[in-house]
Amino acid sequence: MGQFIQFAINGLMSGAIYALIAVGIVSVFKATKVVNFAHGYLIMFGAYFYFTFAVIIPGQEWAPAWLASWQPGWMVEMRQGLNMFSPLGAVLDWAANVPRIIFGLIGAVLCNALLGMLIERSLMRPLMGQSVFAMIMVTVGLISILSGAASLIWTADAAFVPHIAPNTPIRFEVFGTMVFLFGADIVNMIIALLIFGGIVAMVKFTKSGVAIRATAEDQSTAYSMGISVPKIFSRAWILASATGAVAGAILATRNGISPSLGLFGFSVLAIVLMGGLDSYVGCFIAAMSVGVLEAMTQWKLGGEWAEIVPYVAVLVVIIFRPHGLMGQKEVERI
Amino acid sequence: MTLNRRTFLATGAAATAAMGAPMILNAQPAEYVLGASLPLTGPFATAGQLVAPAFALAQKLFNDEGGIAGTPIKFVTEDSGYVPQNTLANYQRALATEGTALVGYFADSTGAMKLIAPELKGENARLMGSTSFASELANPETHPYQYLSGPTYQDQFDILMQNIKNAGGTKIAIIYSNTEFGRDPLEHGRATAERLGLEIVLEESTKAQGADIPTHVTKLAQSGAEHCILQGYVTGVWPQLIGGARQFGLPVQFHGTFWGMEKLIADRITAEAGPFLAGYQGVMPYRYFYDREDAPRYEQYAALSKVMFAGTPLENYMSTWAIQTMCGLELAMKALRDTAEAGKELTADNVAESLSGIKDWDSGGFFGGPVSMDNNKIGTGRVYEYSPETGLFTPVSDWLST
Repeated sequence: MGQFIQFAINGLMSGAIYALIAVGIVSVFKATKVVNFAHGYLIMFGAYFYFTFAVIIPGQEWAPAWLASWQPGWMVEMRQGLNMFSPLGAVLDWAANVPRIIFGLIGAVLCNALLGMLIERSLMRPLMGQSVFAMIMVTVGLISILSGAASLIWTADAAFVPHIAPNTPIRFEVFGTMVFLFGADIVNMIIALLIFGGIVAMVKFTKSGVAIRATAEDQSTAYSMGISVPKIFSRAWILASATGAVAGAILATRNGISPSLGLFGFSVLAIVLMGGLDSYVGCFIAAMSVGVLEAMTQWKLGGEWAEIVPYVAVLVVIIFRPHGLMGQKEVERI
Repeated sequence: MTLNRRTFLATGAAATAAMGAPMILNAQPAEYVLGASLPLTGPFATAGQLVAPAFALAQKLFNDEGGIAGTPIKFVTEDSGYVPQNTLANYQRALATEGTALVGYFADSTGAMKLIAPELKGENARLMGSTSFASELANPETHPYQYLSGPTYQDQFDILMQNIKNAGGTKIAIIYSNTEFGRDPLEHGRATAERLGLEIVLEESTKAQGADIPTHVTKLAQSGAEHCILQGYVTGVWPQLIGGARQFGLPVQFHGTFWGMEKLIADRITAEAGPFLAGYQGVMPYRYFYDREDAPRYEQYAALSKVMFAGTPLENYMSTWAIQTMCGLELAMKALRDTAEAGKELTADNVAESLSGIKDWDSGGFFGGPVSMDNNKIGTGRVYEYSPETGLFTPVSDWLST
């Protein structure tokens, strides 16, 4: 039982990251009816922006020393004699990085939001009123542009970034089994859940959220009711890119930075289909289910199956519920 | 026009010259071409972009030495995106464009080598090296024109396991990526472990990128392994696994194979995440570039790098990935030159025969001593250990051969 809990928690932590990625795809789809195939590459850009602001800029000669490593006297004193992997040592190592982590996150969110706005204004808005298929094809083309641009700007070099939270090991006993958790993963999960919850609340309870829902329901009617549909489009892309930046930063801390980060979006697309393209709650359930299923399969059947079993589940759900777990059923009237 | 004996002979000579000229020109190209596909984009672009400059260096060096029997050589490299089908298409295009001037090719993955292997027949066959150490390729009967520029992954596992055994290890874990690259030496590794009396307590497969680190580290912790061999990774996953294990205080000794042994990556991890790679060991078929004593060939590379790559990080350091490529190109050049010096045509059969005939080759420092091509591979290597303080991998074993 203890082991079950261990792998279930591991799965939930992965699932929360999937949910954070999925929220961007759902936001864009809800507002614009466009499935953004390039979302993984927006996340990759977010990760590279985090790398730029948390590693490259603080490493420059002209950058203040405290930005690269904040070392007040009291912290140096506390650090002395501590083992690198001791819990307090790990917290202090992280604390020294706090300024650049904050700088990195703010920079990544702002730059990625700007990028999302730029994409919407220059590529998507001119296609408003055209077939949705054309807009989807633009997102497919965007994959090549974004991956090529990232290689040009940052090269394909693999690099590593600081953890967003202290990566202290956490151990506790459940049913006689020692459960191990990473501090950073727990914080990542909390961040992902908070952002996810915030967006859902925003869509449900705010004026902007009502406008998004109205646009999702019927763009023409929303227009005629005085809702600025182009503004909604723009907001959706900004929201997707900003949340994508946080997701990218988290992924980069777990896996390092490389152009392959962009591929992550494709596996999450399957999760979004399972949950329902226009349902935040459905996607959340799907992301958590796939995360847990992956961890359980890894535990019981090994990694060879871990990539297959969850996606078989996705297929089964889609066969029986083509609109996903909680997706809105569309009725075409002829 | 009346056709007398003189005009008949003159016309005949002219016609022969006209028809024969292309054949003669074809047989003696102005320069020989060696093609290459590299993953300049895609998941292994980090490695591809570090390897690419090696071709410029090799072209300069080999041509300064007289090319192949006085004929200069030219490398033509193209991007594959690490997609085997792209490499095959690149190879076919090189064949069509260069014809008989194309005398060798360098592919960028095991998948590409396997995909191209059935195409290497008759006039379409060329000598072919690659970045791969796949065990299946080290078989001259099934892959007569393809070769490895070092030991197979199976050999590397043998070397690592022997070293673990020598260090008194008994329980090992194998963590590998769920790719062909990751799975390659598994079955052989099981047999070697049994032969050496080592118990494999965990075989764990992970994603090649974006692996679920907590889950894998948990399983490693529960397995009770003393040593863990990591296989099938290049820039990612292996550092995170080691970092995770260290965070949990696992005393496991980690070991890697060639692609997980690059100093540049280890240095970057140390700079960003601290010295947790201390004690990380792995098998390396070649000397590192900074170990240039008794390595005259490396000295030549270093001198050229200073000039050709001035102002870039490549000026002072050649990655292990580029060294592997250079070794592959050196072997190809040796086979081509030996064939030309023997007065034979540079056909794939003749060059492959020369390649398999390489015995006691003094590589100029790549390996510990003279090496021979045995089953189209060089089964030697030694174990190195990384020190975050010095930023160097230093040898902890003698050169071991399989």
